[in-house]
Amino acid sequence: MQPIKPIDLPLLQPEKKPAPVDQAGQSFSTMITDLVANVEQQQEKADMAVQQLHAGNAKNLHETMIAMEEADISIRFMVQVRNKALEAYQEIMRMQV
Amino acid sequence: MDIFTTFKVAASALEAQRIRLDTISSNIANVETTSTPEGGPYKKKSVYFESTPVSFDQHLQGSIEKNIKGVKVAKILEDDSPPKKVYNPSHPDADKEGYVAMPNVNVLKEMTDMMSATRSYEANTTTIKSAKRMALKALEIGR
Repeated sequence: MQPIKPIDLPLLQPEKKPAPVDQAGQSFSTMITDLVANVEQQQEKADMAVQQLHAGNAKNLHETMIAMEEADISIRFMVQVRNKALEAYQEIMRMQV
Repeated sequence: MDIFTTFKVAASALEAQRIRLDTISSNIANVETTSTPEGGPYKKKSVYFESTPVSFDQHLQGSIEKNIKGVKVAKILEDDSPPKKVYNPSHPDADKEGYVAMPNVNVLKEMTDMMSATRSYEANTTTIKSAKRMALKALEIGR
């Protein structure tokens, strides 16, 4: 004879907490620093491409143009992020204490 | 997948079409060439395309991105169809009967190929413009 087993209701079990995400290395300032570094890298890539084109080493004209477009979009994105950050900062500064 | 994937795909197509145009210009330039280092008249060359994965790190790609392919020139082959014979006994490359073997290049066909290559190039630059417009529209969301 088998003993009566307790009914296992998964919904009644306390939910397991998800493992805390390690956010020590991902503060706001590191995110911004990473972003700026990334954008700077794109700018340097575009600069190099233009220099190579002028020196006659570039294989293709369009690669230079695409590098420049990528740099353009990256810097526009960075400006948008900066606008948002500034907006948030000003919103907090306007707060009544 | 990043927003620059479209750029990579279109760039590969631009390069392929540029190589195609190089080949066409070679064919047109050599339309009267009767002697080559390999011997015989110049032979018409044509490009053959092949699709390639966009990035080299296959393991990092998702299943969607695996289906997005760039293009590259797989090979450039010579056309082995017989040369045109033109009667010109004073030509230094003429054979015993006075016929000169001219290249098997058809200038009209090369011109239409050239138009096709130019239009393909234009289409791919339009893709790039479109991708840029989409990215700039996305940046307008915050405004």
